[in-house]
Amino acid sequence: MGLLDIHLPVAGIEFSAVLLILIGFCVGILGGFFGVGGGWMITPALNIFGFHMAFAIGTPLANIFGQSIGAVRKHHRMGNIDWKLGLISIVTSVLGVEIGSRVIIAMEKAGDVGMIVRWCYIGLLTILGIYMMYDYFVIHPRLMKLAEDEAVNGTRSAAATKLSDKLHRINIPPMISFPASGVEGVSLWVILLVFLLTGFLSGFMGVGGGFIILPVLVYLIGLPTTIAVGTSLVTVLFTAAYGCFTYALKGRVELVAAFIMLVGASIGAQIGATAVKFIKGYGIRLLFAIMIILAGFSVLTEQFYKATGKPVFQTFAGIVLMGTALAMTVLIIGRLALESSKEKSLSAK
Amino acid sequence: MSTKKMFALLFLSFLFISVPTISAAAGGGEKETAALNQKVDTSKLTGINRWVAEMYNGDRVLYAIVVTLVMAALGTSLAFLTDLILKSLGLEVSRISHRE
Repeated sequence: MGLLDIHLPVAGIEFSAVLLILIGFCVGILGGFFGVGGGWMITPALNIFGFHMAFAIGTPLANIFGQSIGAVRKHHRMGNIDWKLGLISIVTSVLGVEIGSRVIIAMEKAGDVGMIVRWCYIGLLTILGIYMMYDYFVIHPRLMKLAEDEAVNGTRSAAATKLSDKLHRINIPPMISFPASGVEGVSLWVILLVFLLTGFLSGFMGVGGGFIILPVLVYLIGLPTTIAVGTSLVTVLFTAAYGCFTYALKGRVELVAAFIMLVGASIGAQIGATAVKFIKGYGIRLLFAIMIILAGFSVLTEQFYKATGKPVFQTFAGIVLMGTALAMTVLIIGRLALESSKEKSLSAK
Repeated sequence: MSTKKMFALLFLSFLFISVPTISAAAGGGEKETAALNQKVDTSKLTGINRWVAEMYNGDRVLYAIVVTLVMAALGTSLAFLTDLILKSLGLEVSRISHRE
C-alpha cells in the first residue's frame, strides 16, 4: 500500500497511516459542516482500500464519536444547537427505528430484501437532493421576490410555499415552541410524527440517519440551516458514542486505526464547524444537495456491480464517493479561506 | 429531589435505553453486528500494538471502555488544540447570526 504503512494489530493488516488521516480529515470536515456522521463515506472507503468489512463499520463509529465531541462544543458556542429539539428527536426516532427494523425483519422472512432497501436508499437520496436543488433555484428566489414585492407595495402576500409553514398551520394541541430555533407554536404531534418517520427510514435502510435529519429539520420543522446542522450533530454524537462502545465490545473496532483516523477527523471537524460561520444557510443546503445526489449515484453504480458482477462498477462507485468527499472538502476549505479573508479585510477598513 | 431534577433523571435513563436502538441502525446500510470471536496472534507484536492486542484478546469489556475513553480524550484534546490554532489564524467563533 505504501505511504507510511503501519501494522494494525486487531485487523492484522498493513495500512497507510496517511490514507487513514486523509479519510478522517475529509469526514471530519463534512461532519462539522453538514452535521452528519459520514459512516456512508468511511465504511466503503476503508473497505475499498483493503480494510476487512468486519471492522469497517465499528471503526468509523469510534472515529465519528471522537470528532463529534469537538464539533458539538463548537456549534454550541456559536448558538447552533437546539438541545430541546435534539433530545426529542433522539427519543422519538427510537420508536421509528424499531418499527423500521421490524418491517425489514418481516420482509427478510419473505426473501432477499437487500435490493429493495438499496433502491429505497437511492430513491431517497435522489428525491432529497432534487428537492433541495429545486428549493435553492426555484422556491427561494420566488420567496425573495415576494418579500421584495411586499416591501414595495406594502401589501402582504398570502403565498406561503414553504413546507414547514404548512406543517406549522396544523393546530392539534398541545402546541410546543423551540425558542433556540425561533420555531413558535407547532403541534407536538407534528414533531413526533416527523421524527417517527425519520427513525423509520433509518431503521428500514440501516443507516445512521444524519443525512435525513438535516433536511427534515430544515424543511419540515423550519429550522435555520446552521441550527439544523448543530442539532443534527447532537443526535450523531449520542448514537456514535453508544455505537463506539457496543462495536468495541463485539471486537469490531480497530483501535489503532480509529486513533490515527481521529487525528485527521478532529482537525477537520473543527475546520468544518468554523466554516459554517462564514457560509450562508442556502450555500450549505446547495452543497449538501450536490453531495447526497452524488452519493446516491455512487450507490446506484454499486447496484450495477451487484447485478452484473463487473468490478469496474465497484471501483467507479468508490471513485465517485471519495471524489465527492474530496471535492466537498476542498470547496469548504476554499470558501472558508475566501470568506474569512474578506471579513478580515473588511474589519481592517 | 426537585421535580425538575427527577424529570431530567428519568429522561436521561430513557435516553440510555433508547440510543442503542438508533445506533444499531448506523453503519452505511451494511449489517455486521454479531460479536467477533477471533483472537489476535500477539507473538510478533511489540509495544503499543502488543498491549492493544492483549487487551483485545483478554477482556473485551475493558477494551470497549478503553476505546471509548481514548476516542473521547483524543477528540476533546485535538479539538482544543485545533481551536487554538484556528484562533491564532483569526478564525475565532462566537455566537453567530443565522443567515439564510
